[in-house]
Amino acid sequence: MNNSFFNKKIGIPRAISYYNSYPFYYGFFKSLGIKIILSDKTTTKIINEGCKYVVSDTCLPVKVFAGHIINLLDKGCNVIFVPSIQSTDYKINNCSKIRGLPEIIRNVINRDFTMIEPTLDKTENIDFKNFCTQIANAFEIKDSIRIKNAINAGWETYNRFCKMTQSGICYQEALKNAIEGKLIKNTVEIVKPLSVVIMAHGYNLFDDRISMNLIKKLEKMDVKVYTSINVSREKAISSIKALGEIQYWANELELTGTAAYYLLNNKVDGIIALSAFGCGPDSLMVDEMTYHCKEKGMPLIHLTIDEHTGEAGFVTRLEAFIDMLMRKKRRLIDKNSHKITKQITEIVEINNNKILTGSMK
Amino acid sequence: MNDKTENVKMENKIPTKQRIIAWPRMGRIDIPLKALLLSLGAEVVIPPPNSNETLEIGVRKSIEGICLPYKLNLANYIMALEQGANTLMMFQAPGSCRLGNYTKMAQKTLKSMGYKFDMVIFDMYKSKMKQTLHAFWHVTHCINPWCYYKGFSLGFNKFFAIDTAERLLFYTRPRELHKGDAEKCYNKWLEITDETNSVWEAKKLKQRIIEDFKKIPIDTNKKVPIVYLIGEFFVLLDPYTNQNIEKELGDMGVEVQRQIMFGDWLEHVLKPSIFYHKESHRERSVKYAKKYMKRAIGGECIETIGDTVYAAKHGIDGIIHISPFSCMPEIVAQNILPKVSREEDIPTLSLVLDEQTGKAGYITRIEAFIDLIKRKQLKKINN
Repeated sequence: MNNSFFNKKIGIPRAISYYNSYPFYYGFFKSLGIKIILSDKTTTKIINEGCKYVVSDTCLPVKVFAGHIINLLDKGCNVIFVPSIQSTDYKINNCSKIRGLPEIIRNVINRDFTMIEPTLDKTENIDFKNFCTQIANAFEIKDSIRIKNAINAGWETYNRFCKMTQSGICYQEALKNAIEGKLIKNTVEIVKPLSVVIMAHGYNLFDDRISMNLIKKLEKMDVKVYTSINVSREKAISSIKALGEIQYWANELELTGTAAYYLLNNKVDGIIALSAFGCGPDSLMVDEMTYHCKEKGMPLIHLTIDEHTGEAGFVTRLEAFIDMLMRKKRRLIDKNSHKITKQITEIVEINNNKILTGSMK
Repeated sequence: MNDKTENVKMENKIPTKQRIIAWPRMGRIDIPLKALLLSLGAEVVIPPPNSNETLEIGVRKSIEGICLPYKLNLANYIMALEQGANTLMMFQAPGSCRLGNYTKMAQKTLKSMGYKFDMVIFDMYKSKMKQTLHAFWHVTHCINPWCYYKGFSLGFNKFFAIDTAERLLFYTRPRELHKGDAEKCYNKWLEITDETNSVWEAKKLKQRIIEDFKKIPIDTNKKVPIVYLIGEFFVLLDPYTNQNIEKELGDMGVEVQRQIMFGDWLEHVLKPSIFYHKESHRERSVKYAKKYMKRAIGGECIETIGDTVYAAKHGIDGIIHISPFSCMPEIVAQNILPKVSREEDIPTLSLVLDEQTGKAGYITRIEAFIDLIKRKQLKKINN
């Protein structure tokens, strides 16, 4: 038996499922008594390292994932968590590359390491409990009550995280507090002149290197940003239905669901779609949203990223889009301002009449 | 719930008698499908074969990021609708890849273009035969069981006949003494298959094709390298999309063995498992790919890996793997192939096709690959 099993360490790469499920993993592994080793935050070096291993047609997130695996191996961690999330509901499947992550990693990285590769496939009746049991069994933990408690501990952290994000707390802060076991409340709702929703996968958007700090850049431009973590699962599902679409991809809620929710609520001024170059599901989902946005007159910009994306060009496009939104909003206010002043004078007139009639009596 | 979704999928706006049916093209599936639908008493329209013009229409009307087969399918629909079709048929297999989204997107695009039509989609996930029968009943409303027997038996036999002809063509082409004989024979039999209209005749087609191909003079002593052609389903079966790679290879003196044959696939998919005793392609692939892949991940990825290992174990000289640009399952396969190639000691070549693939560059790479195989063979003989 491998020596590292006694120490019970697991390396989690900071890519793909980390961004949406880390609170769960944290609670789960902590309850099982397994120490988590995270890879470093994504840097250009990690991306370049990942590019060396996989073929060039592979999308950026998978390249980044490979880079993080190398990073973990360099750190001396040789038990690595690589889940294969096949489907999250009956006939709702994931992208092939995410489904086949362990297959890719096993075959491209020729180094000695153990992979914890649980499968979640609800189409083939492998449910979430089974998924967690597979992980625990890999660490020689067979006690079902202990596993159950660990799953509950995982959900507890995850729910805390969701509660905070849905109340409007930003990703990093919510993650930090959820892990520390705190539940903070958002006291002040900041109102900004413009608001946009970003439809993107968590692993693209919350990775500062991949998204090139998109959220911070927008906030600097005085734009309020909504993301997928602000929308609950139920709301996202019902929004997709309300739009007349059928959920097809497992991670569609992050994109179509989120965008649909804000589109139907009329809460935002524009939609920013951020996707990796060559992403199969995204190409369809963004197209679907473009179609609905055209119908409803909502501006949408599609930003594509890959490992070469120059930051200058990216910012220019973003600024142009925000300027356009600003101009649109100003025009709308100008148009409506006549109405508003008219209404005000009418009210004043009514009041005057009342006064007059009153005095007449 | 399930019935509800089925009803949603099969639109029913056009009266059965006015239906004119069309379906997307892929290789020669038009011949058997036409036979089937005609025996059910339906009217059909066959869009022109895929060509640059088709692709141009498809590219213009579809989004940038979608894969090549969709672009061609969409163009087929448009051309068929222009020719008067009003019912479009398509199968889909959710849980595989973007294929499951094709019909949904095509429907939306075509409706926004102002066409009026019914889209009949049948699911190939589970209970396939029932779904398929239901779809064909839906478009024809034919209740005569004899017609179904005739149609399906004609269709299946034609599929098998075409498969046999193709296999023999691949075998004969590199060995023939007079260039072009095999091709001529193949085309002749395609025509005869198309014209055959009785079940009795259709059943005999396969045997007659084998006999006819035997008459072509071939050089039996010629050393011919054998190459497996594997990859994505549509690209393999559509000669326009793969730039007729089989012919190019045959003319270079290489025997091609294509692993995916439409007839075989259909038999495996549609035949109830009680009657299907052979080891299916999928089962074989899962068995052979075990060392490299533990789970199927959609599309034909596991078939690609399984076939490569199978080929290496059975003395095949090389593998050519073709896939459309940005095809998700095949990218995973591409990532795994180098390791398989190294460990099983078999040369592989991955070719990615899109609408801009230049034929010259493509041929150069194939030629270089074939040279490599031949040299490897020589080395083996010398040792």
